[in-house]
Amino acid sequence: MESLILSLLIFFPLLGAILVALVPSNQHSTIKGVSLIVSIITMILSFAVYSWFDEVATGMQFEVNYSWVTSLGINYHLGIDGISLLLLVLTTILTVLCIISSWNSVTKGVKGYFVSMLLLSTGMLGVFCALDLFLFYVFWEVMLVPMYFLIGVWGGPRRVYAAIKFVLFTMFGSLLMLVALLYIYFQYQAFSGEYTFDLLKIMGMPIANQAQLWLFGAFALAFAIKVPLWPLHTWLPDAHVQAPTAGSVILAGVLLKMGTYGFIRICLPLFPDATITYMPWICVLAIIAIIYGALVSMVQKDIKSLVAFSSVSHMGFVMLGLFALNMQGMQGAVLQMINHGVSTGALFLIVGMIYERRHTRMIADFGGIAKVMPVFSAFFMIVTLSSIGLPFTNGFVGEFLILLGAFKANYIYGVVAASGVILAACYMLWMYQRVIFGRVTHEENKKLTDLTGREKLVLIPLVILIFWIGIYPKPFLRRIEPAVKVVLSQVSRASTVQLNEKFELEPVPVYGETGEVLEKTLTDNTGANR
Amino acid sequence: MVPVSAYLILAVVLFGIGAIGVLTSRNMIVLFMCIELMLNAANLAMVAFSRALNVVDGHVIVFLVLTVAAAEAAVGLAMIITIFRNRETINIDRYSILKW
Amino acid sequence: MDFQLPEYNLQLMLPEIVLFVWALVVLSFDLATKRKSGSAVGYLAMAGVLITGIVLAFTGHGQGFGQMFVADSMAVFFKMIFLCAAFMAIGSSFGITKDKIVNHRGEFLGLMLFSTVGMMFLASSNELLSLYVGLELTTIPLFALAAFFKDDKLSVEAGIKYLVVGAFSSALLLYGISFLYGLSGSTDLLLMRLNLAASALMDYPKVAMVFVLATITILAGLGFKLALPPFHQWAPDVYQGAPTPVTAFLSVASKAAGLVAFAKIMVIGLFAYYDPFVAPIDWGMLVGIMAGSAMIVGNVLAVRQTNMKRMLAYSSIAHAGYIMVGMLAMNELGLASVGFYMFAYMFANMGIFAVVALIEERTGSAEIPDYGGFSKSSPFLAVSMTIMLLSLTGIPPLAGFFGKFYVFAAAIRQAGSDPVHQWMYWLVGVGLLTSVVALYYYANVIRTMYFGAQTDVPRIEFTAPALTVILIGVIGTVVFGLMPNVVVEFASQIPISDMIILP
Repeated sequence: MESLILSLLIFFPLLGAILVALVPSNQHSTIKGVSLIVSIITMILSFAVYSWFDEVATGMQFEVNYSWVTSLGINYHLGIDGISLLLLVLTTILTVLCIISSWNSVTKGVKGYFVSMLLLSTGMLGVFCALDLFLFYVFWEVMLVPMYFLIGVWGGPRRVYAAIKFVLFTMFGSLLMLVALLYIYFQYQAFSGEYTFDLLKIMGMPIANQAQLWLFGAFALAFAIKVPLWPLHTWLPDAHVQAPTAGSVILAGVLLKMGTYGFIRICLPLFPDATITYMPWICVLAIIAIIYGALVSMVQKDIKSLVAFSSVSHMGFVMLGLFALNMQGMQGAVLQMINHGVSTGALFLIVGMIYERRHTRMIADFGGIAKVMPVFSAFFMIVTLSSIGLPFTNGFVGEFLILLGAFKANYIYGVVAASGVILAACYMLWMYQRVIFGRVTHEENKKLTDLTGREKLVLIPLVILIFWIGIYPKPFLRRIEPAVKVVLSQVSRASTVQLNEKFELEPVPVYGETGEVLEKTLTDNTGANR
Repeated sequence: MVPVSAYLILAVVLFGIGAIGVLTSRNMIVLFMCIELMLNAANLAMVAFSRALNVVDGHVIVFLVLTVAAAEAAVGLAMIITIFRNRETINIDRYSILKW
Repeated sequence: MDFQLPEYNLQLMLPEIVLFVWALVVLSFDLATKRKSGSAVGYLAMAGVLITGIVLAFTGHGQGFGQMFVADSMAVFFKMIFLCAAFMAIGSSFGITKDKIVNHRGEFLGLMLFSTVGMMFLASSNELLSLYVGLELTTIPLFALAAFFKDDKLSVEAGIKYLVVGAFSSALLLYGISFLYGLSGSTDLLLMRLNLAASALMDYPKVAMVFVLATITILAGLGFKLALPPFHQWAPDVYQGAPTPVTAFLSVASKAAGLVAFAKIMVIGLFAYYDPFVAPIDWGMLVGIMAGSAMIVGNVLAVRQTNMKRMLAYSSIAHAGYIMVGMLAMNELGLASVGFYMFAYMFANMGIFAVVALIEERTGSAEIPDYGGFSKSSPFLAVSMTIMLLSLTGIPPLAGFFGKFYVFAAAIRQAGSDPVHQWMYWLVGVGLLTSVVALYYYANVIRTMYFGAQTDVPRIEFTAPALTVILIGVIGTVVFGLMPNVVVEFASQIPISDMIILP
């Protein structure tokens, strides 16, 4: 069972999608019911994975490795570590919540909508499990299609433009990734005589410095478009604003994480020298993203585009944490990936709820909502605070760790990035104040009904997560820690290879090496490098 | 004895006339004749090479090419008649319903 | 004089013979039933193709007629593609109700089968003469097929244009062949390859000039056949005007035949002169430029098209470009990737054309804007078309993606092998950038079908054969995308087959 569980987890939604596709398209409640059950079972499967996961072991767990295209050395190789584990759970939870939240809001093409949701879920879960570069690429591209349809069919007025923009941007990046992938493939063949896309094997290959710079660039471009890192973020506001609520939630909650996940899983371990070379650049871009995203959020009139731009800012934090290249930063970054999924997902859900009632998202159209919808306002408050990063909410833990890491890497990064937190408080609270407090200025707002049971059901799990991670993050951090150590050891290992050429030292083995020593080596190296 | 190069030069000239004819002629029939000219240029080159190399392959090819050319001409002329019935012109510039 | 008769090995030719006889049977069956056979003759033709396929599967490899006729992995692989394409083209031709075809179904199908026989001979030919004759047998029936709707001005015009271009390109090709024959002293491809490799052309400037002339005319001839720029202008017109099943057949089978001819003459025959150091002309680079411009021209111009058939014509120009990228990678992945790409392209393209034919029969239009709301009236067809369009775009896990992947893999391998071939990286780059453009216009069709302005597309009824064709297209696209192993194993035999030994 344990070896099968990942495949089951990935392909169960696909199975469900096929099942849903077979239901006659006018039986809406059956379609919704089946999708919900499928997504709930998927979520339970992911909980099973979570509970069976050995939290102290390093390396990949639940590994399966079958030959897929034998003559080209393409394998069906799955496996997860702590980072993937948390993302898997996040994905399945958000999928369930999205399906519940779109219960009544989707009226046209119901079948297509739920089929797309389930297919999307397969693609996302696959990306987080794949350990074969080819397989990774396949899953990476697969989720483009349902996302294209989700935005393009069920989106807002400019949905087609947004959908095409989203797809073109992503496709452009991923094609570059394909070339880089093939280059590595042949390099590895020249190195070891074996054709393989196996990530774990390729990690053992030293790549020439110059080539690393190019390859890192190609992969990083693909991932950075997805993150999105400034200045490649322009597709994001369009896609978010036009996408239906569930689409936005998935987009913000999971799809953006695929970019940062790609950095952790592929860029850092495969191209350590390039990572260290590019580190200051990416950190600067990440900081620009933090400040830029926050400033642009401040002037948004539409709540949804405000949340969209705040995503740019938050993802900038994640990137900064990753490229701080130390334990705290990276742990914080991974945790912040989860946090952002939870709190921004919740924000989009909340925006969707009020949009369903008022059919507008303009901040100016609201005001005094607190009197009309007290429960809604309370939920909104919690989520807003979590997004800002108030202590005892999840955002605080993640951002604190990231800033700690950033300070350790270079205190200027830390100082500038910390101002982003303040800006976040400004735009979020200002928006909250304009929407919720004050007098009811619009007649339409007086008749608004408060949250229904279904809507509460959607928000409560997220609120629980917000406080859980905020107050007791240890179970999560414990699972992230070994994985992050491995990644860091890979970065430091290969940079020691670089050093070895100068000092003729023994290379450190890829796996199994953990602990402070490596971290120390790493920070020393980066220090020396700068 | 006439050297091979003389035949080849003649073949090149013939081919050139044929090719230029195809590209410039507006009359369907003339155009078709020019294509035949090109084929015959190829035939001439083939026979000349065959004689020079003292192997028979080239001669055999020529026979087959003649047959194929005849088949092509048969289909071609039939189609010219069809389009003439259809449009009442054999000027290829007038065949422009489809964007050329 | 001692004259030894070569070994005939007639049994190797069995598939061709079966199909040829069957074509005659189809022709005479229609006559014998006084042209009232209706769709029965269509089923007969499909059965013939199937039987030929089975015979082909059981016919072994080997050489016949001396070395003029070979049945090797490459031949068998491409014959399978031709037969599949013919099967699917015939299947999608059932719906045609125009008066012309009702009365001449036998000829229509017979010509298609004859053309297929020509392709099969072409795939098996091992020397220039039979290659030329096979190519002509392929194209001459296609001229007539393109102009088959005698009273339809578009169809006749398409036929005439195809005729002019086809005859002209054959003449160019033949002229080049005559010079290659003169330079190498043999029509046998392998002998030609050896003789050309042995003769140091560079030392004799005049001879080298003849070689350059021959190479250029051959490239022009093949360029026309494959519709590679700058010889591509005919393709959109002919594709738009010809009857849709014929267009489908043209865009897949005839293209595959052109590829086989290219592989035989250039990749096998002129292999020695691929290397720019010894050749008076670097034909690899020349074809590379053609392939690059094919990807650019095809994809960019396809964006502007409103007619589905014309759009697919431009996209097929672009696909020819991608395939040539694989072809130019003269390593063991090269020809295999060409085979796989063609295989994947066949399923998707034939399936799409089958849907286009159905819609055209029902609404009389192949304009893309008229597809608006098509997904509501015929959800099954819309989903099928979407899957196949995505495959052409190269979205995993569909077969088209794997084809593209394979081709680029071959090219990158070649580019990395030697600094001289580094320009292949540029080709790959162009391929990638234009893939994004391709995504745009394919997605545009999908967008119109699903989100476009509502036009009253009636529910499309389809016949069993058309449904079969579409199902084959979809299933082939999905299955060979998920399990490319089967075809890859088969395709990777191509370069190590009996006749080509690549270094």
